[in-house]
Amino acid sequence: MIQFESAEVTYPGGVHALQGVDLTIDDGELIVVVGLSGAGKSTLIRAINGLVPLTGGQVTVGERTLPGLGRRELRELRAEVGMIFQAFNLVHRTTVLSNVLMGRLHHVPSWRSLSGLYSPEDREIAMQALELVEVVEKAYVRAGNLSGGQQQRVGIARALAQQPRVLLADEPVASLDPPTSHVVMRYLQQINRELGITTLINLHFLDLARTYADRVIGLREGRLVYDGPAADADEAVFEEIYGRSLTADDVLEAQGGL
Amino acid sequence: MSAPTGERPRRPSPVASARPQRRPRKPPPQPFTLLGLVGLAAFTLVTAWDWVLGIGFNPIALPGELADSNPAMVEGLFNITDADWRADYAELLRTHFTDPDSPWLLSLDSRIGSGLVETVQIAVLATLVGAAASLPLAVLNSRLGAPNRTTHAVIKTLNNINRAIPDVIWAALFVVLVSVGALPGILALTMFTIGVVVKLTSDVVDGVDLGPVEAARAAGASHAAAMRTALVPQILPSFASFSLYAFELNLRGAAVLGFVGAGGIGQAMNYYWSQLDFEAVSVIIFVYLVLVVIVEQVSISVRRRLV
Repeated sequence: MIQFESAEVTYPGGVHALQGVDLTIDDGELIVVVGLSGAGKSTLIRAINGLVPLTGGQVTVGERTLPGLGRRELRELRAEVGMIFQAFNLVHRTTVLSNVLMGRLHHVPSWRSLSGLYSPEDREIAMQALELVEVVEKAYVRAGNLSGGQQQRVGIARALAQQPRVLLADEPVASLDPPTSHVVMRYLQQINRELGITTLINLHFLDLARTYADRVIGLREGRLVYDGPAADADEAVFEEIYGRSLTADDVLEAQGGL
Repeated sequence: MSAPTGERPRRPSPVASARPQRRPRKPPPQPFTLLGLVGLAAFTLVTAWDWVLGIGFNPIALPGELADSNPAMVEGLFNITDADWRADYAELLRTHFTDPDSPWLLSLDSRIGSGLVETVQIAVLATLVGAAASLPLAVLNSRLGAPNRTTHAVIKTLNNINRAIPDVIWAALFVVLVSVGALPGILALTMFTIGVVVKLTSDVVDGVDLGPVEAARAAGASHAAAMRTALVPQILPSFASFSLYAFELNLRGAAVLGFVGAGGIGQAMNYYWSQLDFEAVSVIIFVYLVLVVIVEQVSISVRRRLV
């Protein structure tokens, strides 16, 4: 379970990215967080793994509570929370397998991570993660040579190699075309359903949110303005979250029309 | 359509409230720039004019000075315009490449041959040891790679001091510490390699893609593991290129270090120089030139493939 209690994040520049957010997420939920850019979506999910430190309130993930974790405890927390990024964040020059093995770094003794000599068990976990997202045949290809959709699947495999309890995805399809976006979203949905991993996905396309989410959370200017089942999140709700009328830019299916 | 002179035709603006625009005039040069140029010119005059500081530099007298130089040395070293000299020199090289009785025969156990081999050994070993030490130091020498500010500051200061000491001074220091031979040369050029490679490589760290580093941290990796897996692969090509460049510099540097007793071809050159055997010195320079050019060309072609 993940619990936000009046969580606040104020960046050094004085931007209030999160203001008094109260939120409870149960194990195994698939939640899509929507809002305009700058609404605090990235900050919300980065508060869960401590990549962004809270300036007020607290966030409890499982039995650990932020802030107040030591360096070692913070790394233990992060090892249980996989993360997927908009820009994929792969090391382009190394192989796909090396990238996925980054997901094992917390579980591996220093001499192995520094020498790059991972154990057969860790390699097996990485290979299985690649099989799950069906890019295992690219294991020894340079990550930079893959297409965008393949790179994001490698990103998912890297997160899965952590064997996480929670998966965070920060705009995972914003750099992809519509068909590839659906492929990536289906993998995330499948992982949530079959492995029971609690999943939070930041999106700004309302049709994707409605198709794949169990529950939709809306943010505007750092405040929680909507929290409800995806089925109830109709266009009026999105107009309320965005604070303006909807346009074609808000719908994936209207993008890149042939 | 366009009017060759006079008013530009006014196009309707797409923005309703567009205000009339005027192009700015090119601003005049900053007074500071002018001051700098004047200062540089004055500084050059004061330094170069012989009657001001008297360092013996006189452009007008220079050709005469060159013509009056020691004829024995010039004839021994270079006299390429003289056909007789060229024939003699070719004979000289041929003799000393083939004649087993030559005292400085270019065989591996002669003074020149062993000196050359030792020079290459010094350059190779110094580059290997120096480069191996440089990769972790380059990571620590960057803001991203240092675990904390103190480490960053300490490493940076130490390397600045290292680079402020020329390799010949390092060699002289190590000759005092470990006595004459190849070892002080290796140690001196190791310090030099660290200075060059750490400085250049850590500058590359600042331009690296931070995404993979964030991904490693998000996976719960320790700082060292994150740097090893997300940063090092990104800087490795530049690091290898800089290390090869350091090898080229080391090969040239290794020739000079012999003059302070740090081994290599320089020691042989110093010996013949003190014997006033300028023919031998000339052969050394010639052979060494060929070696350096070959190694540099190979190194450059490898480096081009790296980055």
